[in-house]
Amino acid sequence: MDKILRIDVGAEGAPRATVVPVGEYAGLGGRALTSAIVSKEVPPLCHPLGAENKLVIAPGLLSGTASAMSGRISVGGKSPLTGGIKEANSGGQPSQVLARLGYSAIVLEGKPNSSDLYKIFINKDGVKISVDNSLKMLPNYDLIAKMKAEYGDKVSCISIGPVGEMKMASATVAFTDMEQRPTRHAGRGGLGAVMGSKNIKVIVLDDTGMPMRPPKDPEKFKDANKRFVDGLKNHPVTGQGLPAYGTNVLTNILNEVGGYPTYNFKQGRFDGASKISGETQAETEKTRGANPTHGCHRGCVIQCSGTYNDKDGHFLTKQPEYETVWAHGGNCGISDLDKIAMMDFLDDTYGIDTIEMGATIAVAMEAGLAKFGDADAAIQMIHEVGKGTHLGRILGSGAAVTGKAFGIERVPVVKGQAMPAYDPRAVQGIGVTYATSPMGADHTAGYAVTANVLKVGGDVNALKPEGQIELSRNLQIATAAIDSTGMCLFIAFAVLDQPDTFQALLDMLNAFYGLNLTGDGVTELGKKVLSMERDFNARAGFTPQHDRLPDYFKTERFAPHNVTFGVKDEDLDKVFNW
Amino acid sequence: MRSDRSDSRETIFRFEEAVDKPLVPRFFPLLQHGVLIRCRIGRSVAAFLREDIGATAETIDMIQSIILDGKPVDDPGAAFIRDGSTLALSAAMPGLVGATLRRGGTYSSFRSAITYHETGQASLQGEGYVRIKLFNLLMAELGPVVLRKGVFLSGRDVVSFMTGQSPDFWEGCRQITLDGAPVDAAGLRNAPWLSEKDRVFLVVTGG
Ligand code: SF4
Repeated sequence: MDKILRIDVGAEGAPRATVVPVGEYAGLGGRALTSAIVSKEVPPLCHPLGAENKLVIAPGLLSGTASAMSGRISVGGKSPLTGGIKEANSGGQPSQVLARLGYSAIVLEGKPNSSDLYKIFINKDGVKISVDNSLKMLPNYDLIAKMKAEYGDKVSCISIGPVGEMKMASATVAFTDMEQRPTRHAGRGGLGAVMGSKNIKVIVLDDTGMPMRPPKDPEKFKDANKRFVDGLKNHPVTGQGLPAYGTNVLTNILNEVGGYPTYNFKQGRFDGASKISGETQAETEKTRGANPTHGCHRGCVIQCSGTYNDKDGHFLTKQPEYETVWAHGGNCGISDLDKIAMMDFLDDTYGIDTIEMGATIAVAMEAGLAKFGDADAAIQMIHEVGKGTHLGRILGSGAAVTGKAFGIERVPVVKGQAMPAYDPRAVQGIGVTYATSPMGADHTAGYAVTANVLKVGGDVNALKPEGQIELSRNLQIATAAIDSTGMCLFIAFAVLDQPDTFQALLDMLNAFYGLNLTGDGVTELGKKVLSMERDFNARAGFTPQHDRLPDYFKTERFAPHNVTFGVKDEDLDKVFNW
Repeated sequence: MRSDRSDSRETIFRFEEAVDKPLVPRFFPLLQHGVLIRCRIGRSVAAFLREDIGATAETIDMIQSIILDGKPVDDPGAAFIRDGSTLALSAAMPGLVGATLRRGGTYSSFRSAITYHETGQASLQGEGYVRIKLFNLLMAELGPVVLRKGVFLSGRDVVSFMTGQSPDFWEGCRQITLDGAPVDAAGLRNAPWLSEKDRVFLVVTGG
């Protein structure tokens, strides 16, 4: 991974590929690399769909190695949804394959000078870019079937659906899984639209003949990897809860504590929650011959994912995640798992962020476009987006635009991006992260519950009011660091409780690169990433006033606990004081 | 024979699992939704778990989130069960919010607005009904014990549960008794009188 593939889509004649040394970006991976390139090379005031924006796709530092859990990939650019810097990451096979091919990143840059649509094929012999207008407006599943017919069943793909081609702000970049299905998405922030603006439909990767990346110290690396895997397997969340039920295991408990946003964030409990819970979902999958325990890429030992079959036992979609089930389920008043699974499939094939889409449908329901609970109407709205009708163009632009178009006040967004599945009035600490993350409202921004192990900024007294601010800061630092390794964030649960597992992760990085990284070094990396991102946003015109939740969270009481968001603005402004 | 937890006015349903057909897990959705248990009120959640539910120390360790009347409990020894309480139990949950909802966890301050604070007396006396909900891994861990001891449901919930069952469910029942007398599955699937019952005491025993 010592080279970067730059593709200038505006080059004279046709897009031109240039392979350059990694140079000043050496030692960075995943989010650290995407944010470094974007903050250095993209003018913050540029139009997200214009010539000056870049789409950066970067595997993590340990991707392509024998390390478990290392197959996450980061996608970065200026977001069409938030107008700020964005990193969205995904599972799937491409991270491992791209890393084995030796690329630290692919950078799509420039502006196309025709309406031709391109596909890019990368293997050990080089890069081939060709026009293929037959791919225009193909949904992801049809597109990948075509790529499979053309390139065989060993390749993996990075692609956009029609929503990316239409450059809508909720468009995703899709990544194929182990079964060559386009089920994994860098979903947040509309980066699929940036790929669409470069007229690149699909990148096909073939690592045939490329070996696994070798560590500097193979023995130490193997030992650390073993300790790391043991730690994950021994922990109740990563070894039992997640494999058995997936992330949707959160539905019941969030609902029970009244923190499950229902009917467009109107209340914290949904009557139909147990019908769409992870427990019910896993049981449904089992009885239909599907698999509730499955990895999204080779080398995942947690296996929080799965497959979901229809009533006749045919594959319908991958196991929908908690955020997806919530967005299309409780938030829209829908308690039919099959319909929710259908929406997950449609989002994947059209290439739409499930969180943004679900939040948008709920805003549209509040506007009276359909009744809460009307699953068929919700499905129809997704088709409108996929087909690019006039209504679909509004909905596909996200919850904020839809709220404006229909005159709705209760629009749950920060920096233009829809909030995920946890109400910040019930769980106020997560509201701090929603408000202040440079990414817009994002649950993963403060996901890495490793912060207390890292002891970023010393020991935090979580019971003091300012504890939430400090914890959110530390969480964001730790998350930024993990996102840079290419490790799945779900390792964080085991790392939180088991310092030995955290040490095994550090040992793995050190053995691979011949480094001497400590917990402090990881903290510094996280801070560096956040500083670059915040600096970009400041230059793009973001001020502290953008680090706020919508007003109604401070005034509308949230049932059943009748709470409002109580963290003061001046405290929010302290999150990044380090 | 009546269970000591039942009441003479209630209809008692007893399902016995056939040896080779695991039946008990099929009842877990009821536990997720919530069932009533009759117990002594006024004691702590910790005592309730030990003495009424029969949870071992190991199982109590596994219970990482305790939600009493919708509020996360940090100290199960200092929160008291009342008549009409709802108690939900979960094993360790993923994500920041999962960590936030853990009892006494580092991130408990994140949900201080909804944390359970005991305000009343511990000296309540007598018996009452508590709704318990078992989530995720705890369904398998505690479900068989709870179902063997017996739980109360409305007749409507029992009927709705039974009408949703496939033929293999009924094949898994070695014996079904209603108020002590054997009944056959066909009769139960269509039993309008049952849905009118306020309370049905349900006992499920493994093979
Ligand atoms: S734990 Fe889940 S998200 Fe993470 S790598 Fe495995 S399957 Fe993918």
